[in-house]
Amino acid sequence: MRRALAIALAAFALGGVAAPAFAVTAQQIYRETRCPTCNTPLDVSTSPAAQAIKDFIQVRIAKGQTEEQILAALEAEFGREVLATPPKEGFDLVAWIVPIVLVVGGLCAIPLVTRSWARRRHTDTPAPEISPEDAARLDDELKNHPG
Amino acid sequence: MTEPPEDVGADRRRLVGLIVGAVIAALIIGLLVVGLLARGDSTSIDDALATGQRPPAPNITLPVLVSGAGLPPVGQTASLASLKGTPVVLNLWASWCGPCRDEAPIFEKAWDKYKGKGALVLGLDLQDLSENALAFVKKYDITYPSLRDGTDASKRDLEATGVPETFIIDRKGRIALHITGQVTDLRQITVPLDQVLAEK
Repeated sequence: MRRALAIALAAFALGGVAAPAFAVTAQQIYRETRCPTCNTPLDVSTSPAAQAIKDFIQVRIAKGQTEEQILAALEAEFGREVLATPPKEGFDLVAWIVPIVLVVGGLCAIPLVTRSWARRRHTDTPAPEISPEDAARLDDELKNHPG
Repeated sequence: MTEPPEDVGADRRRLVGLIVGAVIAALIIGLLVVGLLARGDSTSIDDALATGQRPPAPNITLPVLVSGAGLPPVGQTASLASLKGTPVVLNLWASWCGPCRDEAPIFEKAWDKYKGKGALVLGLDLQDLSENALAFVKKYDITYPSLRDGTDASKRDLEATGVPETFIIDRKGRIALHITGQVTDLRQITVPLDQVLAEK
């Protein structure tokens, strides 16, 4: 009982210490946004516009704003295009649905295609014709075979 | 000799598979084409200017960043169409753009020269943070009004490649001149603007 309590207290204490790791980091938001002028993810963009947005993000993190607040502020400034991932609504849903449909369709097609190939190989390769000499030799061999 | 029925079925399935594959490929190619067209690397404005024509300026409606010269107050929108009748020097800029800092004093001089003479110098702040844009206006003592577009929509409509770029729009709302890159001399503005102002 005492041991269980000690483990629970240690877990609680570690949780308390680990809490700051859950705070939003600038890199996290960089990965979720795009440079409006060069259209590349902010974390790899070195354009002047990207640098200005990185400064904007850092200032807001320092002020204690949440990731949602910062992303909303960026969207208000630059529109949805600034978000690296399209929102899951309206026409933007296509960007989410099409890859899933393609992957599922591809997986479903694998057994159909492989079955079709196997059938084609089976039907397309008839048994080789045997020459009359070979047929005669085979008959002789079978006749002479004791079994 | 008739073909076995299972072969006919397999052929039909193969055909259906081919058709489905072709439709999916066509859809993907269609999406790519639409995406490329939406990027809008069109040059119809420059092509028209090169042949001596004046193409109509796109009807851009954007929020006002800095008001003045009869434009609506900050926060409301203004359109290029509403400025018909007034020659406009439209300068595309951003606070993060080095050459924009260098040319800002030239546009301020042009505004000083023309503000009582029926022409308008109008900034268009592109893909910029509002607070940085306003700090830029303050730092460089810019007194002419500016619109703001955080997206690249108006840049695409104007077929601009980036900032800084400048357009001179005549009284009829047609583009008379497109300057790509930094304006380094006041006469680049005054010479064509005087000509446009002289037109009825």
